[in-house]
Amino acid sequence: MSPAAFFLLAAVAKIAVVWAVMLAALLPNLVWMERRGAGLIQDRPGPNRVGPLGLFQAVADVLKMFLKEDVTPLYVDKLLHTVAPAILLVPALTTFAVIPFGSSIPVFGREVKLVIADVNIGILYVLALTSVGVYGLVLAGWASNNKYSLLGGLRSGAQVISYELSMGLAAIATFVTAGSLKPSAVVEWQVQTVWNCIPQAVGFVVFVVAAFAETNRVPFDLPEAEAELVAGYHTEYSAFKFGMFFMSEYANMIAASAMIVTLYLGGWSLPFVTFTGLWGGLLSIAVFWAKTLAVICVFIWVRWTLPRFRYDQLMNLGWKVLLPLSVANLLVVAWIVAMKGPA
Amino acid sequence: MTPELLLFALAAGLAIVFALAMVVEKTPVRSVLSLVVTFFGITVLAVMLAAPFIAAIIMIVYAGAILVLFLFVIMLLNLNEEAREKDSRPVQRVLGLVSALALGGLLLGLTLRAGKPPVEPSTAGGRIPAVDEIPLVGRLLFSDYLFAFEAVAVLLLAAAVGALILSRRRMD
Repeated sequence: MSPAAFFLLAAVAKIAVVWAVMLAALLPNLVWMERRGAGLIQDRPGPNRVGPLGLFQAVADVLKMFLKEDVTPLYVDKLLHTVAPAILLVPALTTFAVIPFGSSIPVFGREVKLVIADVNIGILYVLALTSVGVYGLVLAGWASNNKYSLLGGLRSGAQVISYELSMGLAAIATFVTAGSLKPSAVVEWQVQTVWNCIPQAVGFVVFVVAAFAETNRVPFDLPEAEAELVAGYHTEYSAFKFGMFFMSEYANMIAASAMIVTLYLGGWSLPFVTFTGLWGGLLSIAVFWAKTLAVICVFIWVRWTLPRFRYDQLMNLGWKVLLPLSVANLLVVAWIVAMKGPA
Repeated sequence: MTPELLLFALAAGLAIVFALAMVVEKTPVRSVLSLVVTFFGITVLAVMLAAPFIAAIIMIVYAGAILVLFLFVIMLLNLNEEAREKDSRPVQRVLGLVSALALGGLLLGLTLRAGKPPVEPSTAGGRIPAVDEIPLVGRLLFSDYLFAFEAVAVLLLAAAVGALILSRRRMD
């Protein structure tokens, strides 16, 4: 087999694995976890009727979304109303291309790195995709021809742009210490030294808070704030189009958690353990997904614990607290690295 | 037809068709979106030129920030139909045409005079050697282009201060 053909086959196989884990294993069960977790926190059972422990609730939910009538309201911009959910979903599903989800495994005598595309620009790719995702929300709000939707869409746009800055600046500090924009290099650096969440605790906190805002999760779910905007940007959506918004929220959450794990929690590595060979490689994949799942649990825990921010509080936090913090963090890290001299 | 050529034709075609759509489209929101698709096509071209950094920056800065702000303004002012019948300044059309032709001619002239590309597309499998471009860009910005870089920084600061002053005056 030629190297090019092998590369292509390996890439397709890796994409298949990542999407299988995301779409088939994680997404449906996350909905179950979220609802059962809500029940746990609010001292009620949650969905427990469909299958053992209510585990098949997700299947029932997806079937319901497929079978419901897809209503397109009058006076909407039909084209944009239809493509908006897709514009949101596609970036959410493609962020994973640059995230290393395992160390490497030997296949037919070749080492295969467990990352779909180990590109030089790493984090910039992720930021570029999140900024495309905004269009999904803004357009859904505008095309619906409904003032609540429009307000929700505009809020989401302002929110994502504001928090993207802090998020990017916090992340850049980890790349300064690693000396490369490759996420795999950041993981390598953490394997050799220490997880970034310890030396870069400030950046870690900023990044996590910004990730909550970027995924529109409570306490930053202003775009859909049901108490004031009905359901915000997806008020006028039903059936499977609504399902796509639902899916992309969870896909975004998985991607954000995976980014947090990669940049600050050591990626696929464990301290004092080296993963070698086929089994080591497979084990590292399991470690990565376990960590990601743990971070997702924090997302769910926070959602059912904290109340929603007010809009001006959200903007104040973003611009007056997180942005200066992330700039200061970057300057300090850059100064320390410069003092030590080039690695 | 090589896969590279096919991809180039697709990306370039996308960029050109949607650039035209941006001008012709009557709904301002759709104009902005057409421009986003054009930038997407240009991004693909940058990736094909082994310049992923440029591609990411185009996406983040233009598509992700500037055009979203355009969209904001259009949505808030609710400009659903362009006020076309009130073509109050016909001189703008002439000026626009002249400057478009001048810019196009300049680009065409420079491209024709540039001579051979550094890598002959027909050799070396049409591959452009991938370099880690980010350190190169950084070094150039802080050495050869330091003055331009600082001047742009001052310009941006002036714009930010101007925006603050304008918005404060309206509040009083």
